[in-house]
Amino acid sequence: MELVTTVVSRAGAKMSSVRWKFRMTPMRWVFTGIASAAIAVILVRFVLGLGATTNLNDQWPWGLWISFDVLLGVALAGGGYGTALIVYVLRRDKFYPIARSAMLTSLLGYIVVVLGLLIEVGQWFNFWRPYVSWGHASVLFEVFWCISCYTVIQILEFCEVGTEKVFKGAHKYLKKAMPVMLIIGITLPTLHQSSLGQLFYLMVGKVNPLWWTAFLPVFFLLSSFFVGAGMIVIESTLAGKALNHKVEIPVLRGLVKISAGAMILYLMLKITDMVVRGTFANAFAFDLPSIMFLSELTFGVIIPIIIAFSSLSSTRKGLIWFGILTVSGVIMNRFDVLFTGMGKYLNQYGGSYVPAVSEFIVSLGLVSIACLAYLFLAENFNILGNHGSEHADDIEIKDGKYASTAK
Amino acid sequence: MASKVGKVISLSRRSFLKFVGGASLVGVTLNLSGCGEPITPDKAIGGNGWMPTQYNAPGNWPTSVRGRVPIDPENPAIVRDDQKCILCGQCIEVCEKIQSVFGNYELPIKKEFVCVNCGQCIQWCPSGAISERDDVNKVFKALADPNVTVVVQTAPATRIGLGEEFGMPVGTNVQGKQVAALRKLGFDVVFDTNFTADLTIMEEGTELVKRVTGELHHPIPQMTSCCPGWVKFVEYFYPELIPNLSSAKSPQQMEGALIKTYFAEKKEVDPKKIFSVSIMPCTAKKFECQRPEMNSASKELNDSNVSPDVDVVLTTRELARMIKRTGIDFSSLPEEEYDKLMGTGTGAGVIFGTTGGVMEAAVRSAYYLITGQQPPVALWNLTPVRGMQGVKEAAVNIPGVGDIKVAVISGLANARKVMDQMKAGNAPWAFMEIMACPGGCEYGGGQPRASSPPSDEDRNRRAASLYNIDAKAKLRNSHDNPEIKQIYADFLTAPMSEKAEELLHTHYVSRADDFIPKKSEENKLY
Amino acid sequence: MAKGVLVDIPKCIGCESCSVACKLWNELEWDEQEKNKTAIDRAKEPNNGLWPEEWTSINRYDPEKDGESVARYVKAQCMHCEDPACVSSCFSKAFQKLPEGPVIYDQSLCVGCRYCMMACPFDVLRYEWKKAIPGVRKCQMCATRVANNQETACTSVCPTGAIIFGDRDQLLAEAKKRIKENGYVDRVFGEKEAGGTSWLYISDTPFEQMRFRTDVTTKPLPSYTEGYMKATPFVGVGWAAILAGLYVFNNKGKEPLD
Repeated sequence: MELVTTVVSRAGAKMSSVRWKFRMTPMRWVFTGIASAAIAVILVRFVLGLGATTNLNDQWPWGLWISFDVLLGVALAGGGYGTALIVYVLRRDKFYPIARSAMLTSLLGYIVVVLGLLIEVGQWFNFWRPYVSWGHASVLFEVFWCISCYTVIQILEFCEVGTEKVFKGAHKYLKKAMPVMLIIGITLPTLHQSSLGQLFYLMVGKVNPLWWTAFLPVFFLLSSFFVGAGMIVIESTLAGKALNHKVEIPVLRGLVKISAGAMILYLMLKITDMVVRGTFANAFAFDLPSIMFLSELTFGVIIPIIIAFSSLSSTRKGLIWFGILTVSGVIMNRFDVLFTGMGKYLNQYGGSYVPAVSEFIVSLGLVSIACLAYLFLAENFNILGNHGSEHADDIEIKDGKYASTAK
Repeated sequence: MASKVGKVISLSRRSFLKFVGGASLVGVTLNLSGCGEPITPDKAIGGNGWMPTQYNAPGNWPTSVRGRVPIDPENPAIVRDDQKCILCGQCIEVCEKIQSVFGNYELPIKKEFVCVNCGQCIQWCPSGAISERDDVNKVFKALADPNVTVVVQTAPATRIGLGEEFGMPVGTNVQGKQVAALRKLGFDVVFDTNFTADLTIMEEGTELVKRVTGELHHPIPQMTSCCPGWVKFVEYFYPELIPNLSSAKSPQQMEGALIKTYFAEKKEVDPKKIFSVSIMPCTAKKFECQRPEMNSASKELNDSNVSPDVDVVLTTRELARMIKRTGIDFSSLPEEEYDKLMGTGTGAGVIFGTTGGVMEAAVRSAYYLITGQQPPVALWNLTPVRGMQGVKEAAVNIPGVGDIKVAVISGLANARKVMDQMKAGNAPWAFMEIMACPGGCEYGGGQPRASSPPSDEDRNRRAASLYNIDAKAKLRNSHDNPEIKQIYADFLTAPMSEKAEELLHTHYVSRADDFIPKKSEENKLY
Repeated sequence: MAKGVLVDIPKCIGCESCSVACKLWNELEWDEQEKNKTAIDRAKEPNNGLWPEEWTSINRYDPEKDGESVARYVKAQCMHCEDPACVSSCFSKAFQKLPEGPVIYDQSLCVGCRYCMMACPFDVLRYEWKKAIPGVRKCQMCATRVANNQETACTSVCPTGAIIFGDRDQLLAEAKKRIKENGYVDRVFGEKEAGGTSWLYISDTPFEQMRFRTDVTTKPLPSYTEGYMKATPFVGVGWAAILAGLYVFNNKGKEPLD
């Protein structure tokens, strides 16, 4: 089943020349299905409240939506600022081909995070309060400001890409503002990635000592940095399949090696932290937290390091494994901090939390929406740098400038 | 192309300025409207309600006390609906000042709340938050079971209380209508607790004579044991005075034991299929029927399948509720008679329902038991023991014995004073009648609630009604009751015979270990 | 003057006047299910008897005293920390510690992130999960009454003096006096816990057996994130400056990317 949708904008004659396309494949239908289900659940949540749609309770005020949509979403979208740092600030031009794609993923990730947050918070219509009522002692205050500003910055950054196709007049102004936006766009995520970790530092005595440490912000920051490469590998593989576009192995390999460097730093810090706080016994107690902690480190950090610095990373398979392991490691880490780390404390008097089906639907739905949006944008804008499809010529003819900017 | 670009710029600049201006305006407005300002107490959630202090207006009800007594959720007799409680403190007032229970123990408590189940707090509660534990459904269930013989007994005082629930004046005697209503509700047999009140007089009177003559090595004065609230009070606070309590059961428990033995035998009913209900003016009776000792029929018949002597106790209010729920037009009911065998009572039995009544009845029969002659007419109107004073004394001259000094007490705070006096060795009496509730059973915790706070005026009207029944009764001495004569002839042989001891007498347990008694007066709770 | 409440656990007889007073004063709704729970039921449930419409709860525990199991009734509610975690964790200032002692909450400022609930060292915050527009619920220590020189609703109806309202300093001294006189456990729970709380508890039975969080930190919780938040602007600006420097340096003489 193949559907070509052509949207002709009626806004003005100028727009009529722009053609939008979106090809529906079975996978995209699945995404659409999940997304619709999620929207239905979200509507129910807004009408009937959180109690009707989630299993959250007074012992577990934070659950899947916070951990998956926010903690994880922000971390996995962390590839954007890392790539921006490497490409634009450090000028490792070799990685330029993946820059736009990584930053788009990041943007979509953040939009999902913001959407997820709006659904997650109780009084969503009050989301703007922290702008006027400054709770500046709160770590969340920083997270809030950084995430919201960064999302705006990212949208502007993307506008720079977007104006290549629509509202072309604004392009050169956006382009001029790019360096400032890039600097802010790297500063903000480094701040809030670490702050997300610091959030849990306030829960003194509640989080398992394996995860509760003064280094929490550093760990969160580092892991959000190194997971970026993993995400780019996975994403480029998937996008490569869907959009018939492949990123060259040396590019990915270089990225993976940078990421593995950060991992080594992370691992060393973890070990130092354990030595300083004397939590070795906890780590090797082989109860649930210990097993989770060890597998998180082994599969999510140590094995990826080995892959990165061995010949394994010169094959696509090796790279994919690196990506899968790294991403799973960070997913595990974020879930561990909340669920494994706090489970014992929060369940001590019989509390319990298992996410409701509706919670999973919303989380998956948000991801589906992001995937659909990515596919749409990647098909219609110059994201992947190389349009392998037949429509590329089409656009190039219409817009002469396009060809020159697309490297 | 250039002009187009120019348009785009001017448009975006204008809209940019618009946006910035708008945003700042919104920000300023929000700041002016208080966002970002420190919040003040009135912004906090809650705090707009009502407190008992605001209820402190002059009126009939003393309102100086606030808070409330603790009530165990497992309490067999009394429950409280928190939603109706207004913390006026009336329950504390009555429990501490009138019944001397609350505040007469040291803190911390050990395990259980000290409660004698008297139910006076129910009568004093102005909002109806405190009430009896509702057992109506258990009775409806038994009534609906065709295999079960439901036998009911009614206490002396319910007949002069029940009418108030149906709009009749205080103290209206509705004995006949009550019987008719019970039959209409489907009770198979309707007996009168007045019968066992008479029986109690025989047993207790005989016991008293034996104590006085020294045949029974139990101390004098002998104290009545009809009132389960009072009995529990002694078990809690004066365990050393337990030997002074008469070993005779209360009329309710005597009737219950006999229903499952004597009645079952006479009418050839399977005691296992008898469901015994009693209608009482009392909440403590709900506790009494659950005492492990109150299982004589099962013991006597040696059959563990026989349920306790009294299965369910209903208060007068609960009976009224049953009648109302069933839709019976109470006031137009005909007058009916109690069933024979254990349904006949004398005037002496009916005055059990008021303070001094047991004493008066006992004196009449004691005269007979000691002298073998009918008491003189003067003893049919023993005024010194009538009335609402908390402690009343009388001396009755019985030929051959001389003056017998007796005391009548109602209200547990009064009882406490007299008990302390007794412990100090100052007890000139031979026999003492003590009732937990001021005024006796007629204003017990299970009687209809008046619209006004409990008053001696209402107590006197109810008591007058009981005395009126006594005055008009054909038989006014317990020993003259033909059914009493019959039961001794057919079943029990004689007062305090072996069988009577087994079925009609009981023992008591000390509850002194349940709490720490109050040490001295200055250690008041508040 | 900072006010406080002293809870003398052994003096509590479990009448629950305080929880009724709380309901009356704060106009909290009655819930049939909660109403039928006993103090024993509430002590066992994860929520500790505290719900959006139950700001305080009397819970019964059976701790040991001199080798014997005894019944003790413990009042649960917000502890009103001297330096509260909820106040510092709230990014929209919906929580505030008043100088008189109460820690109050204004729902109109609340976004509903529930970070306060995660941060609370005593787990007393409750959320209106069943409502479409929910808020956090907890004891407000009768802020308007306290600000008006009145005592809290609950203390005003306690028939045994198990909970008394007063100046925190004086109550602390009184607590220590009672510990000495009555041979209580030598600890005023709330003196140092979480940096000190407005509510103080003393007991003759071990706190651990009555669901007190005895291992809670004695440092004020906001102190754990204070330094981090203060450093943030400097780190942010510094980091941006470094990035700008690197950007300029690395882009020198190169074609700008797109």
